[in-house]
Amino acid sequence: MPDYDAIVVGAGNAGSAAAITMASKGLSVLLVDRSDPPGAKNLSGGVLWGNDLAQILPKWQSEAPLERFIQDKKIGFLTDNSSIVIDFKTKIFEENKVGHTVLRSKFDPWLAKKAKEAGATVIPGITVESLATKDGKIVGVVESGDVITASVVILAEGINPRLAIEAGLREPLQDWEVSVGVKEIIKLSPQKIEDRFNLTSTSGMASEYILGNLQELNVGAFFYTNKDSISLGIVAPMEQLRANGVTHTYDIIEQFKEHPSIAPLIEGGTVAEYGAHMIPEGGMDMVPKLYGNGYMIVGDAAGFGFSNGLVLQGMNYAFLSGMLAGETAVEAKAKNDFSDNSLALYRQKLESSYVLKDLKTFKDIRKVTNNKNMYTTYPKMLEGILLEMLWERGQPKKKVRDILGSCAADLKMSKLKTATDFYYIYRRM
Amino acid sequence: MLKIAVMIKQVPDSQDISIDPVTKTLNRSMARNVVNPPDVNATEAAIQLKDKYGGEITVITMGPPMADTALLQLMGMGADSGILATDRVFAGADTWPTAFTLASVADYLGGFDVIFCGEETTDSSTGHVGPGIAEFLGCEQATYVHKVEYEDGHFIVNRDIEGAEETIKIGRPAVITITLNANEPRNPTLKRKIGAYKKGIRVVTNKELQLDPSCIGLKGSPTIVKDMKTVPDPVKNPTKLGVEEIDKLVSALVEKGVVK
Repeated sequence: MPDYDAIVVGAGNAGSAAAITMASKGLSVLLVDRSDPPGAKNLSGGVLWGNDLAQILPKWQSEAPLERFIQDKKIGFLTDNSSIVIDFKTKIFEENKVGHTVLRSKFDPWLAKKAKEAGATVIPGITVESLATKDGKIVGVVESGDVITASVVILAEGINPRLAIEAGLREPLQDWEVSVGVKEIIKLSPQKIEDRFNLTSTSGMASEYILGNLQELNVGAFFYTNKDSISLGIVAPMEQLRANGVTHTYDIIEQFKEHPSIAPLIEGGTVAEYGAHMIPEGGMDMVPKLYGNGYMIVGDAAGFGFSNGLVLQGMNYAFLSGMLAGETAVEAKAKNDFSDNSLALYRQKLESSYVLKDLKTFKDIRKVTNNKNMYTTYPKMLEGILLEMLWERGQPKKKVRDILGSCAADLKMSKLKTATDFYYIYRRM
Repeated sequence: MLKIAVMIKQVPDSQDISIDPVTKTLNRSMARNVVNPPDVNATEAAIQLKDKYGGEITVITMGPPMADTALLQLMGMGADSGILATDRVFAGADTWPTAFTLASVADYLGGFDVIFCGEETTDSSTGHVGPGIAEFLGCEQATYVHKVEYEDGHFIVNRDIEGAEETIKIGRPAVITITLNANEPRNPTLKRKIGAYKKGIRVVTNKELQLDPSCIGLKGSPTIVKDMKTVPDPVKNPTKLGVEEIDKLVSALVEKGVVK
């Protein structure tokens, strides 16, 4: 008899969701995390979309340590001198309150506590050393020479899944598969936040930008309001950072903070925390085999995330993949079959959910996010068009068609090239 | 077989605490809770003693219910059981009622051959509680100890004293306070932590102890905090000296007769 029905390695959103799903169905679950309190070292940009979470914790909106609900979502481009932003504020967000800013160092320990309440044994402060294998099957975890056994091990160890890699369950991470996120938390009084962003005491703003002022790098940036702080940061592709010899990513975040449209928003704030984290951006191409004899891989460890340059999501994919792995384990327990064949159900569940559907739909999205024009030429073109249209400087007015043409010419882009490029971006996004 | 106790405290991580300017108390809300660092060394000293001479280790803390995680962590290192003395009437205690309550818990549990404590806590740095426990129990004591041996019913301990080290022999029962970095504490293991989780923590309240309410908690505390101030961080000189300024500096020093 194994010690547990399931061992979950990693108390992030995916791991805790898996543990809650299994423990609430009566499975004996061990959830291990390196940090104490569990999950406190986890980091992400900070917007949580909770549709999936609501399935396992219906009262999450009133119980979880949330910062502000997203009432206002902005996306846009920043150039050296300008910001071009779409500000989407809708009653629909306000009525549903599904998107919230969170601070993971508070949210994740709460989620792990929910796993404990559901009946899981939650052990914080322990780093699992390796996976225990027997006859080609994963049978448990190894720590300090002790083997703790389980019918199934769920690997929720995050973006750089050392255990999975060392056990040969996936290849080591490649540069193209990840971006580097660098984040700062800037303390600012609730009063200032609410005044500056036109918010109430509970509503919040989340914006994402394409930074059009960096020549060699396709960098995105984010800016979210918490209760009494701002989460902001940049996201840069590892491959480009390496190719351009950029080692000081903090220079990029400084540039973002000093941008004329960002600096006034954080004025008077003090940096309270900073951190960096890798983000899965390899799409379908980086997804490993997701299950096998005695194991399943969930969340970031499986490469689940979505990014198109202007939208960046990961936590919802983590919840859902964790829950689906949990459900699979519950069904496997009922059949008493944790073989490769039985756990293939996890893949089927992912296929019929938005997790793998999204990754398939957007399989070519990296061609957009890797498109240099998206990050340099088009923001400048857009800036040029708006200057022509919105700035009166005693010149004869031009038609949009002619503005577009002259802006393209200024940036050494042919009309045809621009048109085909737009067409492909349109098709892939 | 030695009956060993370790008295420990969960403290806010000293990096994250500030002082509330109104209430003059520590603002711990932002801080992560950790085991007071020298208490981890005290636990390691207890485990080493047990490994060498045999025994059973009980870790004891007085604190709020959430302090159980501190006990579980130390049981993960190798302590055998954990006792949490928790009760609203214990709250707000200074060092006198803390030592009194912990000594009473030790007594209530049937007494110990040796009680280890950390030299002091990082959140108040008094170093009172260990010696206080010894006085309340009428035990022998040794403070600021980094090495412990056990011979013929006596403890041979090495104490840090200013500029020197003292080796003394004390009888049993004894209270020994251990210095920070006296040893290299082992990491908790997964297996032991699971064991600790299964075994659980024993909670002791004043219903069991029946201590006089005027001797415990805030009521039993003779200390009154009159004021508390935060010292601002020293302002760093923003002008950095360059190589070209060194000549000027040297001539200024020569002028003042500091350098000849």
